[in-house]
Amino acid sequence: MRRFLQSDLFYSFRYSPVAIVSFVIIVFIILTAIFADLIAPNNPFDPASLNLMNGFTPPMQANDFTGETFLMGTDDQGRDLFSTILYGLRISLFVGVMAVMLAMLLGVMLGLVAGFVGGWIDSFIMRFADIQMTFPSILVAMLIYGVAKGILPPEVRYEMSIAVLIMSIGLSEWVPFARTVRGSTLVEKEKEYIIAAKMVGLSRYQIMIRHILPNVLSPVLVIATITFALAIIAEATLSFLGVGVPTTKPSLGTLIRIGQDFLFSGEWWILFFPAVTLLAFALSINLFGDWLRDTLNPKLK
Amino acid sequence: MSYVTASGLTRQYDLSDPWFIRMITGRKANVLTAVNQVSFSIEKGTTYALVGESGSGKSTIAKMLAGVLAPSQGSVQIDGHDFNNPRLDNANKKMLRQRVQMVFQSPYASLNPRWKIGDILLEPINAFNLIEDKATRQKRVIELLEQVGMSAHDQTKYPHEFSGGQRQRISIARALACHPELIICDEPTSALDVSVQAQVLNLLKDLQQENGLTYLFISHDLAVISTMANKIGVLKDGELVEEGETSGLLANPQHAYTKMLLAAAPDIGAYIS
Repeated sequence: MRRFLQSDLFYSFRYSPVAIVSFVIIVFIILTAIFADLIAPNNPFDPASLNLMNGFTPPMQANDFTGETFLMGTDDQGRDLFSTILYGLRISLFVGVMAVMLAMLLGVMLGLVAGFVGGWIDSFIMRFADIQMTFPSILVAMLIYGVAKGILPPEVRYEMSIAVLIMSIGLSEWVPFARTVRGSTLVEKEKEYIIAAKMVGLSRYQIMIRHILPNVLSPVLVIATITFALAIIAEATLSFLGVGVPTTKPSLGTLIRIGQDFLFSGEWWILFFPAVTLLAFALSINLFGDWLRDTLNPKLK
Repeated sequence: MSYVTASGLTRQYDLSDPWFIRMITGRKANVLTAVNQVSFSIEKGTTYALVGESGSGKSTIAKMLAGVLAPSQGSVQIDGHDFNNPRLDNANKKMLRQRVQMVFQSPYASLNPRWKIGDILLEPINAFNLIEDKATRQKRVIELLEQVGMSAHDQTKYPHEFSGGQRQRISIARALACHPELIICDEPTSALDVSVQAQVLNLLKDLQQENGLTYLFISHDLAVISTMANKIGVLKDGELVEEGETSGLLANPQHAYTKMLLAAAPDIGAYIS
């Protein structure tokens, strides 16, 4: 801990207001999502607690029929928006984290193998990545989502929808990881310490995992932060298009889609609050990621 | 029989375009010969130096002797064994690997920056299963560090905490860790200050006397070579153009290229006197 407080990273953090503000927002949003049960006034995922009479209550105004007041108003089903956003954030964050982990695992593995082994395996993996890059990643995600939905039997579709979402986002975001890791691997594998490792008879696999992997990971951290923001936006986009999580367990994207239906009839808050939350979160992660990239890149120092 | 025998060592690199492109454009195949028919031998306990300018194939020869690069033609025999002998089984290959170690040119790229010095020195010991007992292994690491003039508490540090000369000492300690008989020194001092160079060279000399090591010493610095080598081979464009005992070759060079190299070496003595 003391070593961390004395590090260059922490020093640069202390003198960067953008990094501090975005970090505080990220931590705040993550904490509220984790402790949603304790903070949220009611549970929006429990249909029994919903009262349709509460529908379309504007923020901070008493409902005409029930007299209840809601911090951010309610949606068409009478769900408290504030609680729904907290619970929805939880789903968005979970999908985002898992999708990034999947993309990172896949991308780092493929990039490492492509860079270290080379030859036709390298060409195959990287041409595949090139082809995937020519499609917008949201399109790839929708394709994977559609195929997975088609393969799964109808009775498990509902339970598996979040897993399918994670897979489709994860599989559509691995390319930047693979490219970066392949590039650093090509540099590392020519260094003399790799020859030294070969000279004591280590296998290719041991050299890859023990020597090269730890040396190519620092740019991965930066890409992971930026991909995390992308994954959350991708999840929101998919949900907005109606192919994401089911409406009974709305994520931020689902809420924005619901809100969009009512925007022009004057119920602005259903769209506004989820959209602002998504904006604040994605922007903070991106700004934090940019700061991290600048700090960890020795060429910019 | 000499300890190391290289006979007809050749290494070619295929730099031509893929055959498909060649078929369309009609370009010829382009093969670069980095090392061409080089033969030499090293007696046990002596130092053989290869000298030559950049691109003359010195490092390629070093890699072929180290067993990390296969020769296109010819062979290397180390104590009667050949890395590229298809009949060499794994146990013998391991034994052969243990006998040959290398000290590299760049003190910055030759140590894994994410590993502690202790782990770097333990790697060869563990790879060859030399010491079973953990406490003895620790003792051996300390012994190695002291052998190259470093102290025991350096084992918990990372490579970036050391200077170039110190890193080169660690590199030497790593090479010594598995009790090798042949050490290939690929320009071990060319990245160091002159004063540090002398220390590292003296260390290498002392270690040779104590352990009866055989050195293949690669350098482009004739002053360094004259203090280290028993025998010198001069490389030019991948070919061995001249070979001889150190004193004889430096006093009476035969080949035009050797004469040129000697003439090109800066002689500071002339300015002092």
